[in-house]
Amino acid sequence: MADYREAPLATRPKTLDPNEYFNLSPDYRRAEAERAALRAGLKRQYQLQLNNPHRKELIEDPALNRWVYARANPYNHFKATKKTSLLGALFGVAPLFILYYVFKTDRVRSFNWMCAGLWVC
Amino acid sequence: MLKILIPTLFLLPTTWLTSSKWLWPTALTQSMLIALGSITWLNNTTDTGWTALNSYIGTDPLSTPLLVLSCWLLPLMLLASQNHLSSEPINRQRMYITLLATLQLFLILAFGATEMIMFYVMFEATLIPTLLVITRWGNQTERLNAGTYFLFYTLAGSLPLLVALLMLQNNTGTLSLLIIPYAKPLLLMPFGSKIWWAACMIAFLVKMPLYGMHLWLPKAHVEAPVAGSMVLAAVLLKLGGYGMMRLMIVLDPLSKEMVYPFIVLALWGVIMTGSICLRQTDLKSLIAYSSVSHMGLVAGGILIQTPWGFTGALILMIAHGLASSALFCLANTNYERTHSRTMLLARGLQIALPLMTTWWFIASLANLALPPLPNLMGELMILTSLFNWSAWTLILTGIGTLITAAYSLYMFLMSQRGPLPQHMLALPPSYTREHLLMALHLIPLLLIILKPALLWGWFAC
Repeated sequence: MADYREAPLATRPKTLDPNEYFNLSPDYRRAEAERAALRAGLKRQYQLQLNNPHRKELIEDPALNRWVYARANPYNHFKATKKTSLLGALFGVAPLFILYYVFKTDRVRSFNWMCAGLWVC
Repeated sequence: MLKILIPTLFLLPTTWLTSSKWLWPTALTQSMLIALGSITWLNNTTDTGWTALNSYIGTDPLSTPLLVLSCWLLPLMLLASQNHLSSEPINRQRMYITLLATLQLFLILAFGATEMIMFYVMFEATLIPTLLVITRWGNQTERLNAGTYFLFYTLAGSLPLLVALLMLQNNTGTLSLLIIPYAKPLLLMPFGSKIWWAACMIAFLVKMPLYGMHLWLPKAHVEAPVAGSMVLAAVLLKLGGYGMMRLMIVLDPLSKEMVYPFIVLALWGVIMTGSICLRQTDLKSLIAYSSVSHMGLVAGGILIQTPWGFTGALILMIAHGLASSALFCLANTNYERTHSRTMLLARGLQIALPLMTTWWFIASLANLALPPLPNLMGELMILTSLFNWSAWTLILTGIGTLITAAYSLYMFLMSQRGPLPQHMLALPPSYTREHLLMALHLIPLLLIILKPALLWGWFAC
């Protein structure tokens, strides 16, 4: 295999910088190892389910379930902040009044034109 | 009329007396024969308009398309429910078919009623089988909430209607639809007559649903089993439209001023619910919001009370009934395979189930009102009559049409194209029953292209 050398002017990301990873404290390394072990456990569970020959159904993803539930039930956690009130007023209340005004004015005007004989079809 | 009513009524003993081996074929055959018999109603030969008339029931060109639609839907509902009910005890299956058959009976009586109180009683009566179907056979815990919303929104809207109808009966002496167009108008004090107008309309606007009062619909459609969703989307929403069209005759001079807020709500609702559709993750919820969007357009068409508006509304109601019901059946085919309504989980189905993609494609095109399908015909008529009413509505309806196309294509592309989820294994191939179901939905829709005059209502000229 060709010997990998990085491009001369390229910078390494922080996690791959050799000056960084010798600076890490043992506590941090232990925590990282625990998190890696948890991730590996989750991956193992997924692989077990994926390759299970008796599995017929979809693999359940609890994160997906939580996300779908959150997307389907926004009103349970709705809070009337300034931003949400502004959005509600702007898209829910104001257009109704604006449209009523627009339609009414237009219809009244064309009715008056029709009465005065000015309406050219 | 009795040719159809008596077989429908006797579907109830049929379901309870046939053996479990023959339950579904028998129920299906009987309802299919009823559906084929109901097509004869489309032949409106009388000059006065009312055919098959007796003291209580009659059909006229407005109610016949809706009657045929509701009769046509029963065999389709039975076809769609056959799979998910097959694992249930036989008496529960019988109960389910009984509920659907009684719903059918009430719907025929509602659309055929010539007396407004009978229409009202049947309008309310259809709520009960639907409520039972949603709350007892729905799949998630939210079905109870959905049933509550459904029942109480509609009941709260229709109680003022009862009062209004009784006032009308007191004043006019009759509520027969044959006489009411010729009766003298109701004379009330100015504010009272506005309240009376609103009382007459609110029930149907909640049922349609109009944008501000539509919250029951996504819940009810999503939580209902497939037959419940089908009948809700296809027929029960149209009960609202039909009621409005019937009552508009009596409400006349008031309507010129009172309709403005509701037309504004309807048209703004087209845009808002269309935009919500673009952000939905749940497939059935997307189809439910698209129903609200289309029905907003129908409400706009009815409220302006022009001949083209009414015609367009009626055509769009029938076409949307078939297309929306087809989409719910397709969503159910997904649900039966993955037991999830999330769109992300059922992607890329064109590779796995290519024949079903054809049906998805036609149904999505119907939803986005592709010419020459009747969906477009209805939408165009409503659009042009709204434009005649006020030129500014074109902006709203134009944007609405654009958003409709966007979310219909989004639904198609999300479900059919893209990568298949990698952990999806055992997707049973499409059953013939599912293909038959989709064909029976979409072939009538395609056939209507050839003779749309069947659906033009009173103004077939």
